Amino acid sequence: MLLVLLLGAPLLALAPASPGAVRIGGVSLLWWYAGLVGPVLASAVAIVALVRAGE
Amino acid sequence: MTALAAAAVWLQPVLLAALALRIAAGAPDAAWLPLGALVAPLVAMLAANRRVADLGPIARAALAVSVTVLLAADLVVAADLATSLDATPWLGVVAAGALALVVPLIPGARQASPVLLAIVATVLLLPLVSIGATTRTAPWTAWSRGALRGTLTFPETSAWVGKGERFARADRLLFTEGQRVTAVSGGVFRVVERDVTPPTVREWRLAPGEALTLRPGDELALEAGTRLRFEPGRRVPGAPASGIVWADAPGRSAAMLPSALGALVTLIGGALALVPAVRRGSAAITGPAVLLIATLAAVGWGVFAGSIAPDLPLGGSLVAPMLRLPIRALGARTGAPLTVLTAVALTVLLLTAAVALRGRLVAACGPAPVLWAAAVGAGGLITALRPEPWRLLTLALGVAAAGCAPALLASGRIAGQAGCAIGVLVFAILAALPLLAPALASWLEPLVRYPSLVAMPLGLMAARMLARISPEEDEEAPPVVR
Repeated sequence: MLLVLLLGAPLLALAPASPGAVRIGGVSLLWWYAGLVGPVLASAVAIVALVRAGE
Repeated sequence: MTALAAAAVWLQPVLLAALALRIAAGAPDAAWLPLGALVAPLVAMLAANRRVADLGPIARAALAVSVTVLLAADLVVAADLATSLDATPWLGVVAAGALALVVPLIPGARQASPVLLAIVATVLLLPLVSIGATTRTAPWTAWSRGALRGTLTFPETSAWVGKGERFARADRLLFTEGQRVTAVSGGVFRVVERDVTPPTVREWRLAPGEALTLRPGDELALEAGTRLRFEPGRRVPGAPASGIVWADAPGRSAAMLPSALGALVTLIGGALALVPAVRRGSAAITGPAVLLIATLAAVGWGVFAGSIAPDLPLGGSLVAPMLRLPIRALGARTGAPLTVLTAVALTVLLLTAAVALRGRLVAACGPAPVLWAAAVGAGGLITALRPEPWRLLTLALGVAAAGCAPALLASGRIAGQAGCAIGVLVFAILAALPLLAPALASWLEPLVRYPSLVAMPLGLMAARMLARISPEEDEEAPPVVR
């Protein structure tokens, strides 16, 4: 799951037709993902996995 | 190990500062590196590793080399910090080296370090919150404004057009428009004039205060430590041509895929080797939380610096975007205390990193203080070569990945050790290739920049094949969560 989240950033950046360059609220989709959404999701996934493994 | 202590191994000052600098400079790989730098330690925390002592001598040696090179990279940050304070780089290396040598040996440092790390990560966010609140600019608004700029020019408030600034490392500046450059420190300046065929190389010996007029297309070669002054309102040499180029680097294409994979494999492999698995449970929340805060802080510093002060990455100083930004954004009165706060936070981060690295060295080679002293001393000596810090960081993570991952991920002790040997050998050959054959084919470039892209999978494949061929050697130790 974490690796899939990670690969999303280079795929958005390097895919043909540059889907990562699409602007949403003035910021590119790539930077929304790589700078905010991806890190928050990855941390949430890791926290859930660590807490569940401890139960 | 607690999650916070594991995070301290990963959160090296060089990593955060390099991320911020690359984002501020609009580097093509800046978009995926922060996510890679966050996900890599999370993967390692969740993995069930073996104890380092079980990995064999090659993997332990690779880990020790990795710790030493990471220390060197952190000491380069200290050198840049000293340069920013108008001191000589060596003063920063010696002072930081002395602290890194002594502090990890102080009783209780290991217990206090994770708490300090959590505080430092939060403190690194404070200047950004202050800049955002004072200028009423959210990071995404700053990014959007930065992407809309027509040109990236020197503002009147830039130190590069005032008293001049020092180049932290050697550089080659390509001028896209004419500009008069004043030598604040004297020396010989080499200019490649490309408006004639073949290009002409001229050398100019300038005394302090003398100026050099450069034409569009000229390339100026600079030694580390050179101090220059530029003209206000002119384009920043070496910076992206416009805001849109900063935001969407034109170099981002499918051709970058090997480099992107190389960077991500290096980060994940390095994290698997360096960051230990952690104790599970609700207390483990702190590790990912601090990693997230630190990563978002690095992204925030890079975005604000790239948007507000595009000249800060010039000169290559790792800490310039972090130390100069508060004053540029808020003025000297409000910004100076935030600059001091940031410098203190970076120094404390260096100490928490040193404590964590000593822990890894103890796990790999034993607790003798002389080993730690040798690592710090060797790290200091490496900085004398004036290395490029990102290269140091990727080499440190890469050698750990190539030398340890085969033993961590393969079954069988001997097979794992053989895989480590192959990984280290391939890594060393690829890393040394520019020295052995300076004229490299372009397809080899990603492999030279990130040797573990090939070295780690080859080592792992060799270990698995050997384990399959000789199953009698497959005496796998049970995974141990440290």
